[in-house]
Order: sequence, then C-alpha cells, then structure tokens
Amino acid sequence: MKYLVLLIGDGEVKPWAEQTPDEQMTAMGLFQAFDEACAGREGVELLAGEALAEASDATTLRTRGGQLQMTEGPYAEVVEGMGGFYLIEAPHLDVLVDLLGVLPPYDMQISPVVDVSG
Amino acid sequence: MTPVDPLAEVVREEWGRLAALLLARFRRLDLVEDALGDAVEAAARAWPDDGVPDRPAAWLHTTASRRILDRLRTEAVAQRVQPLLVVEAARAEAGRAMADPGALVEDDLLRLVLMCSHPALAPEAASALSLRLVLGVSTPDIARLFLVPETTMAARLTRAKKRIVGAGIPFGVPDSSVLPGRIDTVAQTAYLAFTAGYSPGTGTDLLRPSLSGEAIRLVRSVLALRPGEAVLVALLALMLFQHSRRDARVRDGRLVLLPDQDRELWHRDEVEEARALLDAPALRGPVTRQAAAYTLQARIAAEHALAPSAAETRWEHVVGLHDLLLGLAPTPSGRLARAVAVAEARGPAAGLAALEGVDIPTTHRLAAVRAELLARSGQHDAARAAYDQALAACRNDVESAHLRERRQSLG
Repeated sequence: MKYLVLLIGDGEVKPWAEQTPDEQMTAMGLFQAFDEACAGREGVELLAGEALAEASDATTLRTRGGQLQMTEGPYAEVVEGMGGFYLIEAPHLDVLVDLLGVLPPYDMQISPVVDVSG
Repeated sequence: MTPVDPLAEVVREEWGRLAALLLARFRRLDLVEDALGDAVEAAARAWPDDGVPDRPAAWLHTTASRRILDRLRTEAVAQRVQPLLVVEAARAEAGRAMADPGALVEDDLLRLVLMCSHPALAPEAASALSLRLVLGVSTPDIARLFLVPETTMAARLTRAKKRIVGAGIPFGVPDSSVLPGRIDTVAQTAYLAFTAGYSPGTGTDLLRPSLSGEAIRLVRSVLALRPGEAVLVALLALMLFQHSRRDARVRDGRLVLLPDQDRELWHRDEVEEARALLDAPALRGPVTRQAAAYTLQARIAAEHALAPSAAETRWEHVVGLHDLLLGLAPTPSGRLARAVAVAEARGPAAGLAALEGVDIPTTHRLAAVRAELLARSGQHDAARAAYDQALAACRNDVESAHLRERRQSLG
C-alpha cells in the first residue's frame, strides 16, 4: 500500500526554531535514521519526503461560485503546524507505524493513497 | 439440560478458526462473514435430514468457500476489482509451504484476534468486531449488548471491516517488541464488551450477563492461544469475580447493589476459579501496567467475593488496594472508587474528604456518591442538592428511579 504521512504537529517536540543547534543535529540524525530504516526494510520504499515552509507562507485555494479564491495561510487550524510529509510504499500499517517510531515524536496523520488509475 | 445442538456447538467452537482460514485464503473481509453465515443456514437445512457430517467444521468450510468462489466469479464477470485484506508476508509464505497446518490455523486465529482489536480501530468497533468474527456472536445480539439499534450495529461492523482493509491493518502477528502492547489492547477490547453487558438497559435487557459471558469466552480463547499471558490471566480473574454475582444483581426487575445482594446466589465455582487465577505463576513476574491494573482490580473484587457478608468486608484492605491502583493510574474514577471504600472503612466524613478535588463531568456517579455520603452524615439539605445534581446528569431510567427513591427517603 502507498501512504501519505503528514507531520502535522510538533506534539511533544520543541518547535524547530526554538531548538539549539545540537538538538537540531539530533533531529536531523533521526530523519537520516528513518531514511536508512526504510531502505533496509523489505517491501518499503520512501517515494518522496520534504520539509515544508512555515504555515504563514502557505496559501489556501478554494473555489466558490466557480471563482478561485486565495487566502493567506493554511487551510485549517489543524495543519497550522504541518512541518513535512512522506510518501511511502509499505506492506501494511504496522510496518509503517514501526518505522515512523524512528522519527522525532511528531503528531502525524497517516492517509492511505487510493489508486484511481484502474 | 437441553440436548446439545451439533450445529450450534460447531459454530460456537469453530467460527473463529473458520473465519480466520477463509480470510487467509481469500483476503476478502467483506465476504467471509456472510459466506460463513450462509453456510450455517445451509447446514441448518441439510443436517436434520442428511445427518451431521463426520467433520462438521470441514463441511462448513467447504460450503462457505464455495459461496465465496461464486461471488468472486460474479465479480470477475463484471470486471470489478475489490480491495484485499493485507496478509503479512510470513503468513502468505507459510500458507504456501503448509508445514504444519494445525499450528498455522491456531496462528491464523491469533492473527484474526489481533486484527479485530487493532489499536487503529475505535475501541467499541473493535469490541463488536471481535465478538462477531472471532466468536460468531450474531449482529442482533451484539446490538443488544451495546444497547444500540441493530441497523446501527450492522453499519458499525461494516465500517470497521472497510476500515481494516482501507487503512491497511494487517492480518498478522507483530514482532515481540510490539506484541505485549497489542495483547493489552485485546484485553481492553474484551473488557469493554464485558462491561457493556452490565451497563443498565431497560426492561428484560436491564443487564445482559449472558452476552458479557461471551467476552469471557473471548478471553478464554485468546488465553488458549497465548497460555500464561499475564494480562489475560488477570482480566479473566477480574471478569469471573464480577460475573459470579450476575444472578444476585437483579431482583424483581430492579438492580440490587453489592451490599444488598443475596450471597447464596453467587457462583462459587467461578469465584474459586478466579481466586486460583490470581495465584497463577503468570502474575508473579514483571507484568505490563495494564496487567498490574487488572490484577489489583481483581484483588479488590476478591475482597468482596470472599467476605462472608457485606458488613465483614475488609475495607481497609480494599482502600490499600485502591491506593496501589491509583499509583498505577491516577484516574478520577479510581479516586471515586477509593473514596467509597474509605467511607466504608472510616465513615462518611472521611469518604467526603477523599472525594475532595475529584471531578468527573461526564457522569452522575460522583454526585450520587457524594449525595449518599452526605445523607449518611446527616447533612440532608446538601444531600438533596447533590441528588438533584446527580439526577440532572443521569441518563438511565433505572438508576434515576433509584436516586429519586434515595432522595425521597431523606424526608
């Protein structure tokens, strides 16, 4: 199955900007470890993963009455703190959850990707 | 005793194994349960005339498999592709090799249990699904247990099955680092079903102890797969202590509280079994927090079960056990239960003091206990106010009637 994992909130992790350089190094190490854990796991492929700009740089796009409307900021409060995402192929939820445990303990949302090609 | 119906017997004993086998083979969670249901109906028609087959479970398996194959053929003709349940790689390989079919089937049953009570499922959905798929309890009975309309329960079960496939919850056994936590969840799932049967309903369904008994059966079947699993041993003891009182809990259509129960009606054999479980070697080593909490709750239940009369309950022991339990999980409902014990051991004033600072906004129980303790300590005005508060929050007719009665008895 293919999953989109949204790093949706800091949870108990200190916000990035408030972390000391050492703490940031540690976090980077965890991201690196996650990449390696994925590479080393059978049936798992990390298809994409990026860090995202701050919420204040996000733009929300809505279509209302046939008109495209843009507003400043993220879509809703829940994604205010969204810091990044991964697109991962994994055999099932348990393998994915096991791997995500390697990352810094962010709050995450895991959404299976639906195959609409068939 | 009515003669044993061989079909009911095989359904009771084998439903979970059959469901697990069919799931491993066809990976169609949406078809397996209906196909098994159809097979049972077919057996009910055929067996009385043709006689019970030599291997009744194999007969049901074959019949259910045919139903599923029919459906798959129809789908193939219509060129519809349905999503498949994820079966863990180890099981898929084992299925091809078939080194030891017996052990494989037992493992499949464990896979089914773990899938049904996966932590990514809502607890109530997991509970209902476990009763349906592992034990074959009927949807109307599960609806009765949880006091919801049958259509609501049917929809809940369908949603849960869809979610398992959609979210990629596997039919598998996780590695040993994760397994203890997952067995804890299985225990919570079973206990939720158990307590649902003792949540007061209306009329003849005031309590539904026979359905609570199904939750005990669930624990017994998982314990047979994982002997000596501490959390299950402790939970079984707790359930048996509570369940042993079932015949004394209702009299003339009304709830009877513990101190007023006729202890002659308690099932002594179950009390003895529970007591023996508490001495099991499984509970002597280091256990999970969940197992420790069930053990302490079972020891509290044991104090009640073994006291010769309500008046002779060793209340100071009960308080001590509550203190240990609060050390594990300092919950408001735990503090409420402790306060009740404190009141019995040291008087209503001490109980009221122990209630201080406890806040449980979602239930009438806190106000009800406070009212009772105020009444006992002679503070009738304050007691009346607390009864009113409890009545305003109480959603159950039976309990409301009880509270109104207590309030009126204050004069």
